[in-house]
Amino acid sequence: MKGMETSILAIYLIGMTLIGIYFARRAHSSEGDYWTAGRNINSFVGSFALFAAVASSSSLMGAVGSGVALGIPFLFAYGFGAVAIPSFALFLIAGQIRRSGVKTMPEFFKIRFGKPVQIVAAVIVVLSMTFYMVPQLTASGLIGSYVLGIEYTTAVIFLGIGFTLYAALGGMWAITYTDLIQGAVMVIGMLILSVIILADHEGVGTLIQDALAVDPAFGEVTQPWRSYFGLFLAFLWFGVVSPSAVMRNFASRDARTARRSALGACILYLSVFIFGAIIASAGASLDIIDTLDNQDMIFISVIEHYMPPILAGVMLAGLLAAIMSSADAMLLAVSAGVAHDLYKGYINKNASEKSVTRIGFVVMILASLVGIYFAIDPPQLIAIMVGWVSGAMLSAFGFPIVLGIWWKRANMAGALAGMIGGSIAFIIMAALPFALVAEPIVAAPVSAALMIVVSLMTSPPSDAMQREVDRYHTHID
Amino acid sequence: MKQMTKSKWKDPGIIMVIALVVISAIVWIWWPTEVYWMGISLAGWLMFFCFFVWLLLTFLYVIWIEKIEKQPDGESDKR
Repeated sequence: MKGMETSILAIYLIGMTLIGIYFARRAHSSEGDYWTAGRNINSFVGSFALFAAVASSSSLMGAVGSGVALGIPFLFAYGFGAVAIPSFALFLIAGQIRRSGVKTMPEFFKIRFGKPVQIVAAVIVVLSMTFYMVPQLTASGLIGSYVLGIEYTTAVIFLGIGFTLYAALGGMWAITYTDLIQGAVMVIGMLILSVIILADHEGVGTLIQDALAVDPAFGEVTQPWRSYFGLFLAFLWFGVVSPSAVMRNFASRDARTARRSALGACILYLSVFIFGAIIASAGASLDIIDTLDNQDMIFISVIEHYMPPILAGVMLAGLLAAIMSSADAMLLAVSAGVAHDLYKGYINKNASEKSVTRIGFVVMILASLVGIYFAIDPPQLIAIMVGWVSGAMLSAFGFPIVLGIWWKRANMAGALAGMIGGSIAFIIMAALPFALVAEPIVAAPVSAALMIVVSLMTSPPSDAMQREVDRYHTHID
Repeated sequence: MKQMTKSKWKDPGIIMVIALVVISAIVWIWWPTEVYWMGISLAGWLMFFCFFVWLLLTFLYVIWIEKIEKQPDGESDKR
């Protein structure tokens, strides 16, 4: 066990739990507060909240691990899409979704297309977000096993249960406020680590040369073009198709705050990817990637090599913070999908807020158990697993959302065809021996084509709905 | 509430999306993997430099929308 790191981690987790308990009372005061933090958040908090919700452990450990394992251009492809996540969602859907007055992505589908589309969407959200727990739990297990000196499996189970209790205690209020701390710890920690690395290697030029001296392929494009392109697409669209990021957008106080929060999140994301490139270069220069059981451990190895124990403890707390905020946002999305959209929406419309919240809690536990089961033997690098989930959600939801907002002729049959067809195409592509994370290159256009063709072949939406779609765009004069 | 009088293609968001798509298309079509700078493939560097372009586009968009909102005839239901 690493004494200093363990102590800092323990203090950190206790602090976060206390914040969770503090906000628990507000969370249970009304359902509106529970899901969207009552829309009462300023743009500074909003920036970190949006950033921390989107920048999962994958953005840190995963990007660095993939940059060392597959060459630095892979990390740049990741950032090429990821830095634009808040911007792309802001440009394409944020204002319109906000004007439509919905709280979750499935709710938009219900209003725009009808109940069947909402149900299918809620089921896909639940499945995607449940699988999304796997990379988060993998990363947390790696950190936990390193710091506590326990078995990786034990660490995954222990931390998985902890995350669930935390998310259930506080709902979105607790997560949003702790995101501010977590986002700050992440960015500042990576900044400090980068400065130490650059000082140690005497600048960027020599750092890159040191990495290339150990691994001459570090600067090369090592994968097929379509892997980089697929990764870019999957991350670019992440803000549009991620139900948690949309919820965060609604958590902002007003439209101006929401936009400025997205700009702030973009700046934070850009910083993190610059620091990530520096950390990956340092990781490559250590010449240990082939000796690690799990290549995503490289980030932790860099922290251990360059930082004194006290800073390493803070840095590991930052990493765990990132994982916790992402995992909790996902658990809430799964919980909202089942309890709010499916149970209250269809099974028991008169359900009390208390019973909806309780069902949400049970769903969170089930989702994290499934996540823990798969994370015990993770199927791929963290970055690849996250790429799969993003790609699957893009394939299912990307065009049904965007065309639903921008094309008033789009109808329920078209949305269903696009959503189900895109999902099936993604699964088929994933099963075929195609390039890594390249599935959405085929599956997303299949979804778009099906949605357009089926919409045109069936009757148009009602006049009222078409006027409503026009209303989404009323800021255009 | 005002009715939409102009094409959706004049929406600042759509114009920014088009800019983003055009810039990324240049990177993906060119894809200079065999040219190296400081030992790293130029394809990688192009993606890296686009981080800053994305930030610039977002900044321009925020300024643009806020300018539209300040116009005296702007309507109340804005993004």
